[in-house]
Amino acid sequence: MNIEVEDLHFSYPGGVEALCGITLRVESGELVAMVGQNGSGKTTLVKHFNGLLKPSRGSVRVGGWDTRAVSVARLASRVGYVFQNPDDQLFCKTVIEEVSFGPRNLGYAPEKVEQLVRRALVMTGLAGREGANPYDLSPTWRKMVALAAVLSMDTPIVIFDEPTTGQDWQSVVRIASVIAALREEGKTVITITHDMDFCAENFARVIALGGGRVLLDGPANKVLGEAEMLAQTNVEPPQLVRLAKRLGLAETPLSIPAFVDACRRAVRRDA
Amino acid sequence: MHERLSFYIQRNSPIHRLNPLTKLTLVFALVLISFFSPWYWTSLCLILLVVFPLTVIGQVGREFFAAALRLLVPVTGFIFIMQSLFLPGGETLLFRFWFLRVSLESVARAFLISTRIFGMVSSFILLLLTTHPSELMTDLTRRGLPGTVAYVIISTLQILPQMQAKAQTIIAAQRSRGLEVEGSLIRRVRALVPLVGPLVFGSLVEVEERAIAIEARAFSATLPKTSYREITDTSFDRTARWLMVGLVVLSLVVRILG
Amino acid sequence: MPIINLQHVTYRYPMTEQPALEDLSLQMDEGEFVAVIGPNGAGKSTLCYTIAGFIPYFFKGELEGTVEVAGVESRQASLEQRVRSVGLVFQNPFNQISGAKYTVFEEIAFGLENLGVNREEMPARVERAMALTGITDLAERSPYALSGGQQQRVALASILVMEPRVLVLDEPTSQLDPVGTREVFEVIRNLAQRGMTVLMVEHKLEWVAAFADRVIALENGRILAEGAPAEVLTDERLLEHHFGFSRYTLAAREARKEALWPPSRRLPVTLEEAEAGFREGLGWS
Repeated sequence: MNIEVEDLHFSYPGGVEALCGITLRVESGELVAMVGQNGSGKTTLVKHFNGLLKPSRGSVRVGGWDTRAVSVARLASRVGYVFQNPDDQLFCKTVIEEVSFGPRNLGYAPEKVEQLVRRALVMTGLAGREGANPYDLSPTWRKMVALAAVLSMDTPIVIFDEPTTGQDWQSVVRIASVIAALREEGKTVITITHDMDFCAENFARVIALGGGRVLLDGPANKVLGEAEMLAQTNVEPPQLVRLAKRLGLAETPLSIPAFVDACRRAVRRDA
Repeated sequence: MHERLSFYIQRNSPIHRLNPLTKLTLVFALVLISFFSPWYWTSLCLILLVVFPLTVIGQVGREFFAAALRLLVPVTGFIFIMQSLFLPGGETLLFRFWFLRVSLESVARAFLISTRIFGMVSSFILLLLTTHPSELMTDLTRRGLPGTVAYVIISTLQILPQMQAKAQTIIAAQRSRGLEVEGSLIRRVRALVPLVGPLVFGSLVEVEERAIAIEARAFSATLPKTSYREITDTSFDRTARWLMVGLVVLSLVVRILG
Repeated sequence: MPIINLQHVTYRYPMTEQPALEDLSLQMDEGEFVAVIGPNGAGKSTLCYTIAGFIPYFFKGELEGTVEVAGVESRQASLEQRVRSVGLVFQNPFNQISGAKYTVFEEIAFGLENLGVNREEMPARVERAMALTGITDLAERSPYALSGGQQQRVALASILVMEPRVLVLDEPTSQLDPVGTREVFEVIRNLAQRGMTVLMVEHKLEWVAAFADRVIALENGRILAEGAPAEVLTDERLLEHHFGFSRYTLAAREARKEALWPPSRRLPVTLEEAEAGFREGLGWS
């Protein structure tokens, strides 16, 4: 299931032009991170993918469906959107009811709903907490419930809006494993994030937005090395990339093994 | 972002300079006098001879008439029509259509009710246009209104627009989970729980956080509070208030006797 | 005499078996900058509330042990005393706006009004707080029309205006974007340099390493490790207990296995230390 964006322009009712002509494609199974400062348009762009916003000009197609012609509720069968604040979604008395809400809305059979819910609960580490009231759980676990509630919809495309904000290390690791599992299943994952280390370690493609336009779009190890361009949209490269730059290494390492690799090669070169 | 969060218009008029309680007393006085006074034309006179001139003196005439046209006239017009058509009794028939009867008596009664309502609401609008909410609350608190009540009123005024924004986010989040919000009435009613639930729970969480935050600013300290905004209470204010109270009592007496 | 003195503090929230803090002892001297790290649920916020006196006043529950701030036991202090000793700033900037005031200036003055401060004194104090937090030009704006970073600085100013002796910050940047994060940390750095006593709960280990004199690692209500940032942030136990290290530390730890990081050198916690160490490890210095 791919996403095609064709010369997308969008202005908010107040008149502010938030997107100034964006054209891009996200292919099935890609892992894409959207980065950029507040107001760069990243959230505005991503909200077009599930139809929450409709283009002022241009078009957005999801698996061939023109988003202007399909309701948000229908697009929800193709695009799952995990909102930043779980408290904006949770309303059920138990975790299991909450996680069942999405697939039930999509009209799946009870056995399928049960299976999808089970899978989502296991993926997010919530197995065993089915009967808990989400509001009795800590904010970290509430985030997992909100995440499970979208995963259970089993959409081919999943969008994460700032998934690591306020989360501790263990939680970030858990979110990363969910993304890895989704990648295994061939799902398309799009995230909005300003955690560049998380971005580097989990996403193969990075799109940097600034002033409603695409500033950079390419493989993570290219984009995250463009410190000056990223600075234009208030994005700082990940820790390891900064370190590599200081050491004068040629590579843009996205992970610790990649960094150590780059060091090994640097030593061998000099030897 | 909405910077205009209240009805209040900043001007330096004599009405603005009046003590907030004086203006509040004016509202109550107008309401009570128009209800107690036996004279039929009381409300209309109060509106024309008191409220309208005060909006001009208060330099908020334009805004007042805009609000009146938008809000008051449609509402009171509707009430007038409804009362004229549906008030029972009435001998002198003016007009008849199917089961609807309009009699002189019902029109007269409708006029009385509508002018009373118009008088009440317009004086309240005058109050809101010329009084900053903070000032009103600070003044009332100083006179004995419990601090928590004042806080709840005023924070609600500001937080309501924010809650609206939150409601929009919740609607978006639930639609993204496949919730249909358009369509049949049943569907819309069913959609209410997933929409109202997070709004209520989320708001409760926020209320608790805010309660702690204002505690950190010594909100429930037992010391007498001071106020950055200076609120004057002149002898004119005090005289005016006593005068208004006197008029209310007078109108009550006239009603009882007359 | 330490300005903060916690001795054998154990606390249970109402109707909870498991203590949120267990036999915790902690002392802070005036002018110290202590960072508290730990997984969510470790008791970091509880610790902040305890030092600020919200526990037990606001939260009730059972509190054992001694909690002394500026020499006064918090259970014997009045609200005014507690607020003047400890200022508390929370994660969510939006929920710290009182909602009772229509301009930033008055929002900051709110605390002074509650403390019964003379209104003639207010402008000078508010202006000083605004200058410390870099928001002087926002004075007439509505607190609701600001960015997250600006709102958090308003929250800081609103607390600083009351001139607390200790500033406690509970994850002050976790809800902010990088710009807001930087703005807030600059203000905090500034305050620390002026000698403010600060206790800050933070996940962003880079910043912890840059600011803190001392780091306390909290887990399940107990202190797991305590000491200089260089020691605590490289302590193996942190990895075992799922605290995480910064990438610099982890990279050096891996590289050390192949002698790409000098074995005798302590693991780095800042970019500068990492650069210096790797230069040596790669044979370049």
